[in-house]
Amino acid sequence: MSSDSSRPMASDAGPAPTGAGSANGSALLEIIGATKRFGGLPAVDNLTCSVRQGETLGIIGPNGAGKSTLIGLIGGSLAPTAGVIRFDGQDISRLAPHQRARIGIARTFQVAQPFAGLNVRENVIIGALFGRRNLSRAEAARVADDVLERVGMENKAYLIGGQLTVADRKRLEVARALATAPRLLLLDEVMSGLNGSEVMQAVELIRRINSSGVTVLVVEHILRAIKGVSDRVLVIHHGAKIAEDLPDNVLSDPRVIEAYLGQRYAQQQQQAGAGQAPEEEWKGGLA
Amino acid sequence: MDYGQIIVNWLLLGGFYAAVAVGFSLIWGIMNIVNLAQGALIIVGAYVAYVAFTKFHIDPFIGIIVSMAVLFIIGWVIQYVAINRVIRAPFLVTFMLTFGLDLLIIDLVQLFFTTDLRSINTSYGGAGLQLGPTRIPYDRVGILLVAVLLTWGLNEFLSRTRTGNAILATGMDRDAARLMGVNIARIYALTFAIGAALAGAAGAMLAQVYPFAPSDANTYTLDAFVIVVLGGLGTPWAALAGGMLFALAETVLPLIPGVGPGYENVIAFGVLVLVLIVRPTGLLGKAFYA
Amino acid sequence: MAITPEANATSPGSKPSLPKESRASRMWLWNTIIGLVLLAIISIIPLFNDPAMLHTWTLIVMFCVLAQGWNFIGGFVGYAAFGNVVFFGLGSYAVGIMLNSGKPFWLGLLVALVIAVLFAFLVGLPILRLRGHYFAIATLGVAVAVGELVAARDIGGSGGLLSVHPPTLAELPLFFYGFVGLSAITLVGTAVLSRSKFGYALVAIRENEQAAEAMGIASYWYKVAAFMLSAAPTAIAGGLYAYWATGFDPTTVFDVSYSVEMVLLAFLGGAGTILGPLLGGIAFEYMSYQFSVSGFTLHNSLLGLSIIIVTIFLPQGFIRLVQEVMRPTSLAGADDSYWLRIREGLRRVQRFIASNGV
Repeated sequence: MSSDSSRPMASDAGPAPTGAGSANGSALLEIIGATKRFGGLPAVDNLTCSVRQGETLGIIGPNGAGKSTLIGLIGGSLAPTAGVIRFDGQDISRLAPHQRARIGIARTFQVAQPFAGLNVRENVIIGALFGRRNLSRAEAARVADDVLERVGMENKAYLIGGQLTVADRKRLEVARALATAPRLLLLDEVMSGLNGSEVMQAVELIRRINSSGVTVLVVEHILRAIKGVSDRVLVIHHGAKIAEDLPDNVLSDPRVIEAYLGQRYAQQQQQAGAGQAPEEEWKGGLA
Repeated sequence: MDYGQIIVNWLLLGGFYAAVAVGFSLIWGIMNIVNLAQGALIIVGAYVAYVAFTKFHIDPFIGIIVSMAVLFIIGWVIQYVAINRVIRAPFLVTFMLTFGLDLLIIDLVQLFFTTDLRSINTSYGGAGLQLGPTRIPYDRVGILLVAVLLTWGLNEFLSRTRTGNAILATGMDRDAARLMGVNIARIYALTFAIGAALAGAAGAMLAQVYPFAPSDANTYTLDAFVIVVLGGLGTPWAALAGGMLFALAETVLPLIPGVGPGYENVIAFGVLVLVLIVRPTGLLGKAFYA
Repeated sequence: MAITPEANATSPGSKPSLPKESRASRMWLWNTIIGLVLLAIISIIPLFNDPAMLHTWTLIVMFCVLAQGWNFIGGFVGYAAFGNVVFFGLGSYAVGIMLNSGKPFWLGLLVALVIAVLFAFLVGLPILRLRGHYFAIATLGVAVAVGELVAARDIGGSGGLLSVHPPTLAELPLFFYGFVGLSAITLVGTAVLSRSKFGYALVAIRENEQAAEAMGIASYWYKVAAFMLSAAPTAIAGGLYAYWATGFDPTTVFDVSYSVEMVLLAFLGGAGTILGPLLGGIAFEYMSYQFSVSGFTLHNSLLGLSIIIVTIFLPQGFIRLVQEVMRPTSLAGADDSYWLRIREGLRRVQRFIASNGV
């Protein structure tokens, strides 16, 4: 099916992403011409995009495309070689990570980084204590308990961070980030390492988070999941944006197919003719 | 001011410092261990050469080989018995362990040899080439040559032999090397033993050139650290380069009016902090052995 | 709820919804009380009228203070400073010089405190940008360099040798009480820190500095503050020592092996705990004293050997060892008998020690 950008209908893969109702169109995060070079190679290459208040933006792209670098640029662990990053109209390109957390940008790490010696509850309390709001320890404890319940970890509150399973670590990452009361949540491949049912739970959780008012940026490999949460999808390849559209349009865009599966497959798709939704093919191969 | 003499002093000192640091650099680069006992091992090497000379009349240059052999064995035992048990622990643990070894070794040396200054005085000790006002002592030239030879030899061993490659591989990725069939415990023991042997060589050189006492040990450890920071961890040649740079600082800075002797550690530390702040990966090398 | 391991001595709960949090959350208080009681018992020593004993225990408590001070930067933040003896030396010289210029002792102590904390700030700014090995050696270098500088510049006397007029015999117990009081204050301060927001930030930095920053903690400034905090009791201890010892030189008060000793003591008892450094100090220094009394002159050998043994077999410290042994990790295990739990715990610890090896 050729690229046809006039299909805003819900796909047949499930209920519509929840963000659609709360997106009010104003840009919360603007990335303007961002470039990040390591040595000679640009990991992110003159990227421009924006994230609207209240939406969930999915970011996909083949391995090494620069997705994690982009998260690093937004989260503050990397400084852009060129370009500007604006949050709520304010230029944050030079802010340190902890300052960004204070203004409402929270992130998870691709490889989970729990406070290994502390238990789950303490991990989340730290997020609450030092995040966007200046809370006392008692208030932070209450917020932590509340967040743990929201993510479904209240039963594991006293397990030690370093001894959690992969899935629990990922959930802890999300809980901890949520405790900082973020306005923008960056999820860096939070579903990697999860099995099928865990992925479904993660999708549900992300939707709940988004409908509670948090703008979410989801970097993911699992296309099925991206479709399930995103209002819009951004596709990155070799550090540059190659598509930015509604999920269905993006997933049927031949340039995107080519980036993931190669030129020959894209041609095969064209030859196979219309009527067959390409993402059905992908489900077997990629998702 | 005799610039020629300064340059000669600098080069010869640089060779010595390269020997001091190259073993330390190997241990750090491959095993990520900062061997705080390096200075102590150097001093042991000095005493071995001293005993070889005074008791067995072995020429100090041969004494270098004797020291290397003795320290090789000592190093192997230390690694196998002690350090291998903590190598996966957080770095503070191995740091403390090597410091404990340092304390123990120095104290034992003091017990056997007292704190008196010792030195080796050979018949040819004072002889040298006289070029105008500049004096080039033969024994120091010999030391410089040995140091360069050892550096080259280590480099060849690491890059061209199978065992050497195994050492490099273990340094890059211990678990991958293990999967390739490398016996990690033995490779680590070998690495530390080589590092200790090189320390022994440096000690034997030291014994010829300067008077030494057990209390000098920690100064040499600090020096080795600074040299490695200066040159980086990349290859044995980086240690040589770092040694040259450090020797330059030590030769030139005391000449500044107002500064005199007795500031060695201040200089070392000052250089260290400056480099660490400005270029944490060292002036030349990379973050690990390659 | 405290953020020290004493407070983490919880089980996941025999039933998922019943955390034993309320019991564990008072562990910090118990540990503080135990520490204060220990110090109270020790304060009886002067009543024995035994000058040798008083001398010994004065030193023992002094080392406890040093370990407790180090605990702030080394235990809570996890940055292994190996040069904290520099604050001790600065404190000693500050008091020594003040005394020799006729100023009162308490003023000397105040100056010692201010100088050391200021020094910690100025030196901390560049040095705390370093991590791991580099930080450790840099602090070591600071201590060595300052000691050398003091000697070379003849500060306080030729070669840095400084002597003050000795205190009267009746005043000697005052130093003892001074150290005990200092230790008690530092103990309480550590306890308060462990329950404060500031303490949480330090621990977060220790556990995962990158994550801590992502959570909004300005780790750099917290580290500098902790470093300054560690300087304070160390400097006052140095000041007390200066007057008590009536004379000293750079090799004594800038002795690097003191630096390592205070690390070992905190390590032995449990770095990052409230009670650990105090316990470790008392245990090790007392044992060390027993050895020297029986004619054993190799103090450094003993120290070195102890360090080797501790790092191989007791890397978490005594308090964490106890707590780890006692902690049930499975729901079934929570109902086991005491003895079974201890055996399982010991096995777990043994596995942990083995996991540190090649």
